[in-house]
Amino acid sequence: MFTADIENRGLVLDPRTKLAVMLTLVVFALGGTGSGIIAVRIGTVVISILPTVLLLTAKQWKKAFLSGLIYAGIKTAEILLIPTLTGAALSVLGLCCMIFVRLMPSLIMGAYMLSSTTVSEFIAAMHRMHIPQQITIPLSVMFRFFPTVLEEFAAINTAMKMRDIRIGGKHAGRFIEYRLVPLMVCSVNIGSELSAAALTRGLGVSVKRTNICKIGFRLQDTAVLFLAGSLYVLWILGMIGVIT
Amino acid sequence: MKGKDLIHIGVFSAIYFVILFAVAMLGMIPVFLPLLSVIVPILGGIPFMLFLTRVKKFGMIWIMSIIMGILMLLTGMSWPPLAVSVFSGLLAELVYKSGKYKSAAKAVVTNGVFSLWVAANYLPLFFAADKYWASRQNYGQDYIDTVTKLMPAWMCPVLFLAAFVCGVIGGLLGKKLLQKHFEKAGIA
Repeated sequence: MFTADIENRGLVLDPRTKLAVMLTLVVFALGGTGSGIIAVRIGTVVISILPTVLLLTAKQWKKAFLSGLIYAGIKTAEILLIPTLTGAALSVLGLCCMIFVRLMPSLIMGAYMLSSTTVSEFIAAMHRMHIPQQITIPLSVMFRFFPTVLEEFAAINTAMKMRDIRIGGKHAGRFIEYRLVPLMVCSVNIGSELSAAALTRGLGVSVKRTNICKIGFRLQDTAVLFLAGSLYVLWILGMIGVIT
Repeated sequence: MKGKDLIHIGVFSAIYFVILFAVAMLGMIPVFLPLLSVIVPILGGIPFMLFLTRVKKFGMIWIMSIIMGILMLLTGMSWPPLAVSVFSGLLAELVYKSGKYKSAAKAVVTNGVFSLWVAANYLPLFFAADKYWASRQNYGQDYIDTVTKLMPAWMCPVLFLAAFVCGVIGGLLGKKLLQKHFEKAGIA
């Protein structure tokens, strides 16, 4: 979930491009900016489908297919069915639209971003954006730590299931305590080992750090950025009244 | 702040986010959506109280809060969580600092203040709602009324209040577990 599959990620985009797409999605799909302008509304649909296309290039067929199908289905329903519906059916569909049409594209983009960016690339991009070390170090530790936490949690979960401490089991009341406490005890221990290892590799020193990771804007970045940027242009054009 | 402190922030942020992620999976069922700001502060209180025992320097709580906001942005929950977490994190930091980084009672309140950003996840659904539905007048007023009824504006402060209160409850729970388990194990 939180680790990048480098061999199969297909189209390589700069982390900053992905961030720009994410922000655009947040502004237009989730924020509903400029939805009074028809051109922007069409553009929003295009950019909402973009994460699905990106998932396709990363060969994540199942996720891409499912998200594309849900989006297309609900969006069609929004356009065709809503003017004719009333009452309870309207409430249900309205809530679905709220979650799937507005929120889902950015969630899919988040899933794509996590599964296609290596930690080194991410840190390199953060560095280029002049984010201070106080933020980048905890973030990189965190991304390194996710697989460990999940692995430990799976092991603890199995052990507790054997003792019948599960939802619906004999000791359901201890469900949370008996999972979180061991998880934290071992996470803290692993954490202090990790910090010793990182310090021997020079994390604490105050010199400028280097990174062998190559990031930069390529042709595909230009295309994606052009698509995202055109939405803002359409919005501004609509605001000053050039198009409707 | 040294490298070691920064690593601690990373480790506890990871635990906090895994808990958040597990709870957010429940949130996929729409009925549970508002419950997120109830469950996350309570469960998150357990690792956060342990984290507070590690906090001895200014800025650690603030940085963790900002990181949570950045993570929300990266996972597609929009920018309001980040905007709120920058301020609530600083506020939480100041609350804990006023207890000289060791007051247990202040630590409980700190968890309450820290949890405020969880409620901010819903802000886009409130703020942008009018704008979004206003452009869909052709769907009929009936539709707009129905949808705004699902997310009434008064829910917004209620969610923030719920996050704070549950944060305090989570802090108390975390404190109890701290005494029960972690001090015995020698890691608190």
